[in-house]
Amino acid sequence: MTATSSRDDHYAGEPIAEHRSRLRATVDTILLNRLAVTGLIILLLLVIAAAIGPLVAPYGINEISIPDRLQGPSASHWFGTDDLGRDLFSRVIIGSRVSLMVGFIAVGIALLIGVPIGLASGFYGGAVDSWLMRLMDILFALPAILLAIAVLAVLGPGIGNAMIAIGIVYTPIFARITRGSVLTIKESVFVSAARSLGATDIRILRTHILPNVVAPITVQTSLSLAFAILAEAALSFLGLGVQPPDPAWGRMLAEGRGFFEQAPWMAIFPGLAIVITVMAFNFVGDGLRDALDPQQRSVIESRGQG
Amino acid sequence: MLFLAFALVASACSGDDGIDVSDAPADDTGDDDTSDDATGDDDSGDSRSGGVLLAAQGAEPDRLDPHLTSAFASFQVLENVYDTLVQPGADLSMEGALAESWEVSADNLTWTFTMRDGVTWHNGRAFTAADVEYSYNRILDPEAGAANAWRFGSVESVSAVDDTTLEIKVSRPTPNLLVSIGAFKGMAIVPREIVEDGTIDTQPVGTGPFKFVSSSPDQGIVLERNDDYWRADEGLPYLDGVTFTQIPDQTVKLTNLQTGEVDWVDTVPPQQLAGLEGDDSLVVMRVPGGDYHYFALNQNRPPFDNVLVRQAIATAINRGEIAEAAQFGAATANQAAIPAGTFWTYDYSPFPAADTDAAAALLDEAGVTDLTIEFLVSSEFPETVTQAEVIAAQLDAIGVAVEIRDVDFGTWLDVQGSGEFDAFMLSWIGNIDPDDFYYAQHHSDGGFNFQGYNNPDVDELLDAARVETDESARKALYEEAATAIIDDASYIYLYNPENINAWGANVQGYVVRGDNAVRFEETWLDG
Repeated sequence: MTATSSRDDHYAGEPIAEHRSRLRATVDTILLNRLAVTGLIILLLLVIAAAIGPLVAPYGINEISIPDRLQGPSASHWFGTDDLGRDLFSRVIIGSRVSLMVGFIAVGIALLIGVPIGLASGFYGGAVDSWLMRLMDILFALPAILLAIAVLAVLGPGIGNAMIAIGIVYTPIFARITRGSVLTIKESVFVSAARSLGATDIRILRTHILPNVVAPITVQTSLSLAFAILAEAALSFLGLGVQPPDPAWGRMLAEGRGFFEQAPWMAIFPGLAIVITVMAFNFVGDGLRDALDPQQRSVIESRGQG
Repeated sequence: MLFLAFALVASACSGDDGIDVSDAPADDTGDDDTSDDATGDDDSGDSRSGGVLLAAQGAEPDRLDPHLTSAFASFQVLENVYDTLVQPGADLSMEGALAESWEVSADNLTWTFTMRDGVTWHNGRAFTAADVEYSYNRILDPEAGAANAWRFGSVESVSAVDDTTLEIKVSRPTPNLLVSIGAFKGMAIVPREIVEDGTIDTQPVGTGPFKFVSSSPDQGIVLERNDDYWRADEGLPYLDGVTFTQIPDQTVKLTNLQTGEVDWVDTVPPQQLAGLEGDDSLVVMRVPGGDYHYFALNQNRPPFDNVLVRQAIATAINRGEIAEAAQFGAATANQAAIPAGTFWTYDYSPFPAADTDAAAALLDEAGVTDLTIEFLVSSEFPETVTQAEVIAAQLDAIGVAVEIRDVDFGTWLDVQGSGEFDAFMLSWIGNIDPDDFYYAQHHSDGGFNFQGYNNPDVDELLDAARVETDESARKALYEEAATAIIDDASYIYLYNPENINAWGANVQGYVVRGDNAVRFEETWLDG
């Protein structure tokens, strides 16, 4: 939805030496973008927190202590405690695992299904294109969360099914973006050349077309991660994602809602965690788009130098 | 009253109906001061009349036909519009309503009721015994689809002998017949004409203290005073009318009460009780009710078919902590079903509380290790999720893992019905007669015995207690049955919550009832 493709055939056939300098330029452009760097740092911290969560969490996530319930943030409970006296800081930290895992796996599913559909659709055109893209249009026409809820209604709630549901919801986006890029690239001279040399469809797709649609897909992946995490939070909020007592930010937000007057921290901290994570993915996504889009890049570079 | 039972039978979608009640927490420490305030202001007769009370309820009544609805929200309204033949008094024993008196034949198989004189329907027609005959036959008629036909399990015929005499013939002695016909407005007497013209769901006509005026999404449900009420000579009802508005969000509902936009609310979130009880502009009243919370293990599925395993779990849990966590102290932990303070109370607690050593020993004896229990709960009854989380932590101490399965209530019912569960947790609400507490749940033929309990001794005791007309003999039979049910951990009882309502300080004469019936008959507004 964000990538324009006219640029792709510019550098599609560029030699490798220049390719390296382009990668370098991409990295430089991203590093020039303060928001993108901020986003990257936040994501890095999040991944570390998720990885070593049990080591840094001061309390067990299901350590119930009724006498300590609904305490405000303090030195012993940085984010306060919930209605069962569980430490919210520990739960928010461990909750990052769910969000990141669901985000990456769901988007992975969308990628694995969407990109091949987009490739086939764009490359073969005709009836294949019509059928596949009408199917994608149908999925795309349904509001994302509603579709995910419908999928979960069939599969039953749970974290695994939530990943599948979110993956299905985001499949059409990847299919469309891939198809759009493929449509321009398959008309390139080097594709015709490869075909005239007798290359098979699979070979053309793999070595000539796929590498040239990576840029828009990369950008979309980063942005989709943000949406997937938001979708997971929404599903958990509705009780369709992670099952209690395991912590997930959306579910913690839902639990906190009933205690908003006595214990606002129950909702505030998981809410902040969601906002910050989604923002970080968006910053990185925007940075990637700027860096991978040559037209945008020149604007940014000139801005950076000026 | 078993509203939940109706919700269970009726439909998946009516799950909301029970929430407010089962949410309602309570405290045995009580608020004697406030309840005295609420009932004791007898200063002047004039101040007792007038005013329209604005009542806020948490759910939308699904329909207004008392025989067909299962929603507690509907009964909150209908309680004030309809009458039953007999009704529970303040102590929940049955007293006359539309029937003035009754007698039972020597063989206990014929009940004869004498109707009250001078009762008229809200549409002006005189009430007669034929109306009762019509209403009961409608409940009995399978085609009418009434939710309560099972209450008439022993009834063979209902017939109006004349305008003021009604005869009910039963196939076996039925000591709890009065509870069956009077415990709640699901057994209301309705006039034939509104059933036949189909307006019973939209424009109810009853004999109660208030007449139904209208129902609309923006105005709520409007009731006005029935000037010809059969207790009009006592000046009842005092109010000019009652308007019910529906406010699903608990926080908004409470804020509306605090700002005076409504006069009365049907529930209070338990976590806010402490704060509200210090507020002078409000009255919060809580009384022990007949509700109980429990969970049951699937006895058709190993290892829960082993009574030692069930007893181990009943021993390992800390009921006090569960009640405190879910109801913020507004509940009393209980290893039995029936709460303290009633004729049927049976105080029996065989399990050492939260004794992990004893529990582990029982598991050892059963030879069970690495046990994982999947707990079926529903977020539509949020306390079940909270309780499951606490139980998970408690059972962790004896090495039993708990997986919580939180589903919507429709799915919950399906799963319960299909038997595909390890354990389910919910509450039963509004029970009065011990038959309501035990028969359907623990008799091997019981309609709600989803946990698969089968104890021939208990079956025999419950069958015998059903037809025992001597009250103390009947009580003894139920106590024997309850002993076995608790020992066998057919249900693992947790606690009895209390019924809670809150209202503005200007509302007088309202009391929270043990059966959770919402009656505004004797309520008035100050100033």
